[in-house]
Amino acid sequence: MTGEAETDGEARAWGWVSHLRSGGTTPWSRWADPAPASEQAGRYLPGAQQLELLRRLNQQRVPTPALAGRVLAASAPGRGRPDLGLVGVLARTRFGPAPVDPQDLPPDELVRVATALIAEDVVASGEPPAPRQVRRFRRRYRLLGDPELARPFREQLTADGRPPGGSGATVVVLGTDVERMLVHAWTARCFGTEGVRPWPEWVAAAARGGALPPRIDLAEVARTWAQRVGAGHTHVVLDDPRRGARLAGLRTTPGATRDLCADAIELARRTGPVVGTLVPPERRAQLLWHRLRPLLSGFEGATLQVPERHRPWLAERGADLRQRLARGDYAVHGDLPEVSVAAPTADRAGRPGHPVTVAAPDDERVLALAMQVLLGPPIGATDAAGEGE
Amino acid sequence: MTKKVYLHVGTPKTGTSYLQHVLFNNREKLLAKSIRYPADRFDGHFLAALDLMRLPWGGLEVDAIGAWDHLAAQVRRWPGTSIVSHEILATASRAQIGHALETLGHGGDTEVHLVLSVRDLVRQIPAEWQENVKHRAALPYGRFLEQIRDPRREGRIATWFWGVQEIPDILDRWGHDLPPGHVHVVTVPPAGGSPDLLWERFTEAFGLTGISLALDGERMNPSLGAPETALIRRINRAANEELEPADYRPLVRELLAHQTLSRRTGSPRLGLPPDVHPWATELEDAWIEEVRRRGYHVVGDLDDLRGAPPPTEYADPDHPDEALVSGAAVDALKALLLDNARLRHELARRQGDLEQTHRELEKAYLRPTYRWRQKLVRRLETGRAGRLAMKLYRRARGRSSRSA
Repeated sequence: MTGEAETDGEARAWGWVSHLRSGGTTPWSRWADPAPASEQAGRYLPGAQQLELLRRLNQQRVPTPALAGRVLAASAPGRGRPDLGLVGVLARTRFGPAPVDPQDLPPDELVRVATALIAEDVVASGEPPAPRQVRRFRRRYRLLGDPELARPFREQLTADGRPPGGSGATVVVLGTDVERMLVHAWTARCFGTEGVRPWPEWVAAAARGGALPPRIDLAEVARTWAQRVGAGHTHVVLDDPRRGARLAGLRTTPGATRDLCADAIELARRTGPVVGTLVPPERRAQLLWHRLRPLLSGFEGATLQVPERHRPWLAERGADLRQRLARGDYAVHGDLPEVSVAAPTADRAGRPGHPVTVAAPDDERVLALAMQVLLGPPIGATDAAGEGE
Repeated sequence: MTKKVYLHVGTPKTGTSYLQHVLFNNREKLLAKSIRYPADRFDGHFLAALDLMRLPWGGLEVDAIGAWDHLAAQVRRWPGTSIVSHEILATASRAQIGHALETLGHGGDTEVHLVLSVRDLVRQIPAEWQENVKHRAALPYGRFLEQIRDPRREGRIATWFWGVQEIPDILDRWGHDLPPGHVHVVTVPPAGGSPDLLWERFTEAFGLTGISLALDGERMNPSLGAPETALIRRINRAANEELEPADYRPLVRELLAHQTLSRRTGSPRLGLPPDVHPWATELEDAWIEEVRRRGYHVVGDLDDLRGAPPPTEYADPDHPDEALVSGAAVDALKALLLDNARLRHELARRQGDLEQTHRELEKAYLRPTYRWRQKLVRRLETGRAGRLAMKLYRRARGRSSRSA
């Protein structure tokens, strides 16, 4: 249906839509020109969130007409504020949410819209490569412990036809300092299938609960498996994860795993549940790992740290873990590293003044990252070429 | 014959579950009259709504993938009348509404009729807070009222409340492309009237008059009194951190709230605080005026949207009568104990079954022929020739299992 503007404000709004579609960056508050009657087309005016996201994208780089159209037609997924009207378009009525100046919208609202589009792109990126057929003769192993250290090796072995498990398996429990492991445990949940609370809430709940999350309680994992497969078949590896990978049978190990930046993890946390409304859990986990993650690992930024107020708890947990590991009758390679006390003042690219760690992701930076993802090459295009190497 | 779709999009707490229950249980009878309620399971339209709006819902969204397109395809294929009903559709965005209408056939050979059942705010506000509490919310009633009265409407509580309750806005979003005569507003009669009256209004709105349907089941979701809701809120506050959503639903929402505490009908009911009442009535008046002005088809009486005056005694759930709360807590404990006892008996029965199976399995293993075969297989597996012999044997047997 073709709508015809009923008020001057509406004609001005359609003019702004047209301006944004053609790559314009003028904010709504400074926009004055009405659209010609022929361009006042559309069933309804897009929401302020969608329009402002398009304007912000235009500021970065003009998106393709197809992407611009998708942004304007998108709905913010999940619960949250509905699509909002533009201030000054219609006379204020007593009904519906109050119209806004799009520039006043918090970045979080724009991230919501962006995650809908990123999730669609992730799903459209195609099936991740299937692992090769399971080898009949292979070393049996289980790679456990810190999920961010163990999973890349496990994925590599599985892709090569060597999935974990089987009788007589060597159990390798990978770990590092408790702070990094805690960040890794949350990261794994962000790329998982059940959703997880924001980092500050999650880490506060962990501290309230007292214990470390089960998968990074290395001593407990090792004790359980030593009982099942024998202490001689159980190794805890704390010094170099690649040593653990070799124990599991991986001959050529990749370089050290780089942690994702805080904002990238947060973007994954927010995109995952939307992907979960489009595909079943197993495929969601595969797509997040094989499609979204390689893309996000290419972005620079500060990594996460545990907020200062939880550090005493963290130190206590680290000491306790160290003691329990020392009491175990399984092999422990290396020592549990100490948690670093103060954060360096240069980022990973070495630029001074940029913090290398942050206590929480930042919505504005998450939005910037989401826009880079939307404007970048199609998801899966870069890593698909490298897959199977 | 014109293809018709009756699309019922809300609002919650207006007898929608009962309507959906009757429609689902009478699918065959309706089909005989060329009316289709396309659902394979009772919550089929809820799943379709989740899918349309990409709404995560405690894991249920997994069952919802593709549900809207499946539902819409069934509607498009049906040559007669179809009915689609779920109250959370009220909160859909304009883009989602456009997609919904288009996929249901609007703009083609299908006549889409929108149905919105509505109830006065004086009853809806406490009912919505109670629904929030039954979905793990721990915020006090006073805070809930503050949030929904804040004109900025930020936060999940306020956005959801107004999304599903603001009648003129819902009708504007959903009815934007439809002639006013195809928009049917069904009012819920005031409390205390004939229990059949709402159903009669639904039958008129959906064109079901004269069709004999089996009417059974609860007419409304069971509601809780003020002390019972206060108790559930306290339980949420204490247990939310540790109780998984998958356990919360059967234990707190179903066992405690619906099956146990809703039976305590003698306790004071939830209501609007007297000081909030004038604000709600003013809104109700504005909504009545607006709906009347727009010229929709009203089934019932728009004056039903004007809530009852405040009660003489207000039971504040944030400061409940503690004796009544402990009475409710004892009932809740009793229900949990009985349920626990039932589960223990079930566990003991299953353990008995398992032990019996173990014994029978052991007996089978202890047969000398089994031990001989096991020994032979182990010996063969150690040598190359033996492994080859086993391979040939298994191939001849036609299965790949390596067990003896």
